[in-house]
Amino acid sequence: MKKWFSGIAATVLLTSGLLAGCSGKTDDKAGQGAGNAGTSAPAASKEAPKAEKVKLTIGSWRTEDVDAYAKIIQEFNKTNPNIEVEFKPTKNTEYNTQLNVALQSGSGPDIIHLRPYAAGAQLADAGYLEPLDSIKGLSSFPKETLLAATGSNGKVYGVPTVFSATEIFYNKKIFQKYNLQEPKTWDELMQICETLKKNKVTPFAFGSKEGWILSLTQGALGPAFYGGTDFMNKVVSGQTNFKSPEFISSIKMMKDLTPYFPDNFVGIGMDDMRNLFVTEQAAMMVMGDWEIAVMRKANPDLQMDVFPVPPKTAGGKATVTTWVDGSFAVNAKSPHKAEAMKFMDFLTTKEAGTVIVNNLLKPSTIAGIQAQDPLVAKISKYADTQSTPYMMVVYFAGGNPTTKGTLENTMQGMYQNMLTPEQVADKVQQSADTWFKPKK
Amino acid sequence: MKKSTGAIGWRKGAVHLFPLPALVVYVLFVVYPIAAAFGYSLFDWKGLVRGNFIGLGNFVSLFTREPFNHLFWNAFGHNLYYFAIEMVVQNGLAFLFAWLVYTKLKGSGFLKVAYFIPRLLSVIIVGFLWKLILNPNNGVLNVLLKKVGLASWAKPWLGDTHTALTSITLVNSWYGVGFTMLIFLAGLQAISGEVLEAAKIDGVRGFRLIRTMVLPMMIQSVIIVTVFTFIHAFEAFELIFAMEGSQGEPYNSTDTLAIFFYRIAFGGSSGGDSVAIGLGSALAVILFLIIASVSALFLYLTRNREVQH
Repeated sequence: MKKWFSGIAATVLLTSGLLAGCSGKTDDKAGQGAGNAGTSAPAASKEAPKAEKVKLTIGSWRTEDVDAYAKIIQEFNKTNPNIEVEFKPTKNTEYNTQLNVALQSGSGPDIIHLRPYAAGAQLADAGYLEPLDSIKGLSSFPKETLLAATGSNGKVYGVPTVFSATEIFYNKKIFQKYNLQEPKTWDELMQICETLKKNKVTPFAFGSKEGWILSLTQGALGPAFYGGTDFMNKVVSGQTNFKSPEFISSIKMMKDLTPYFPDNFVGIGMDDMRNLFVTEQAAMMVMGDWEIAVMRKANPDLQMDVFPVPPKTAGGKATVTTWVDGSFAVNAKSPHKAEAMKFMDFLTTKEAGTVIVNNLLKPSTIAGIQAQDPLVAKISKYADTQSTPYMMVVYFAGGNPTTKGTLENTMQGMYQNMLTPEQVADKVQQSADTWFKPKK
Repeated sequence: MKKSTGAIGWRKGAVHLFPLPALVVYVLFVVYPIAAAFGYSLFDWKGLVRGNFIGLGNFVSLFTREPFNHLFWNAFGHNLYYFAIEMVVQNGLAFLFAWLVYTKLKGSGFLKVAYFIPRLLSVIIVGFLWKLILNPNNGVLNVLLKKVGLASWAKPWLGDTHTALTSITLVNSWYGVGFTMLIFLAGLQAISGEVLEAAKIDGVRGFRLIRTMVLPMMIQSVIIVTVFTFIHAFEAFELIFAMEGSQGEPYNSTDTLAIFFYRIAFGGSSGGDSVAIGLGSALAVILFLIIASVSALFLYLTRNREVQH
């Protein structure tokens, strides 16, 4: 009698312990944001007469940038000593899921690092974010930039802080050796490629094994062929589409560059591209600013510089392609919205811009900020004065599969000689037709 | 007296409670997720937010909407191809190796260990190693081909649509051959030596011996290996993910149902893409049905096929 009773008791204990263990875990996760808010709120109200110190948390996917954000927060505290801010990043690939779960349960960080464009707008449309109508500093931001954090109701929900920018990186030593200058027109660029090829130097470190490289490269070089921002605006407003000769010519250009790519480029991915460039086997690479730090680490002696993509004709404007890398938004359920808004205000100031540029080493969304690093300063200047938006990221990252993904996939097919540039353009337009509505 | 038998009855009944902890774990972590996936597949999802009940709408889209319909059949074909290559190359070689070890060839003890070693590595490491070996310009394979004057054979193995999937399936065969060999070897060793001895005396030798005597007597191992291979081929994911990422690159040539599922359910590897949980769950349910039904059917059709001796 005793035996079986204790058996049952043990069983019950075991299972309940197990269940408790599980539920404990989930509670913990979901309640993390709420816990923070909960513990700080009563503390604040109790000590209200004394210090009025409030604690804000920032959720983000940039685990690499903890030190940089510590500096940015330090700058913020110079003017707002009573607001303590904690930067609490989650792993890149898990951030979206974790944030979504937290927001659905009514918690989450006070300040949210928002993914740019469609993914961020989704959170705004779901009502999780506070509109930033009161932030005056935002009025000096161009509309294209604010688009990264604009909901479908047209309201702005986030302060964009930095751009990503793609341009052409080149090896100064190789350029000097063959007496080459930064090109001013597309034809000059092609001549450079010819000279390099004759001297058995691979002109472009490029590979089509990873799709994202394809849309990135087309996004950087393409504007010279399809006519940059003007053409993009026409596509967005429905006056033209991807089947137009302009866009097809930009795809054809990508195909025509094939002789200047490394051997077996269809099997080459980002790591091999970087390798070719930093080991000085290739002279140029179409790439984004984020690679600077990685390349410097791989070869500290590498003498690299950048130039914007030269125009097709002599009178045209050279371009770099930019998009907002992320923005900061206020959680609509945050108990400290007023304080979070102060942080938003701060992010629109030049002081913030300067600290951000010099610590994140990326071009600021605020015009006229000087960077200390010469390469970052050069890219910042281009981003300020001659940028064109990365059309596929800014407007066409929607649909399932995304139109951007369709471009990547079909261009891969083109480099396998399975599709023509016209067919690529056709498929991209087909994808856009499934979801994109021109904005008149 | 009566009371005591009652107590014993109770005791006997109580025994059935002991599997309860395991059962709870099983239901919680196996049955519930499968049931939940089926439930999810019946709803319309906006990102991670569950929308309206749409019945079999997700299944219909999967088979009728461009480009999902052709991607589905494309991936399905690749799973079949994966299965075929595994059956022929991996299992064929495994049987050969098992036979060599079984016949006590000189050094067979060493061979047994050598064939099994790849299996001790993590799939991710296998993928990484072979990615280096197959690197188009400085990988060992192409460098070797160029050195021996076969430069025209050097290909971007993982970047060419014609060779990518085959390369991966061969790597997978390299990885899996040792384990399959062990199963075959166990099957071979279960055959009583006298039967084969008698057959040999009767003049049955070589391939005929294997075909008419050995294989029928170890059919159970063959069935197990076939079912395992089928399940493995239709769940093919890790190695492809390690070597080609989640986009089925290049140009969908390495897309399998599991990779396709990962892409639509989790939005690729960048973390920023759109997700379609409903569609993904529908695909997962179909994948589950394919694997479960084919495996069950195969086991049913081949039951009691073992030759008794």
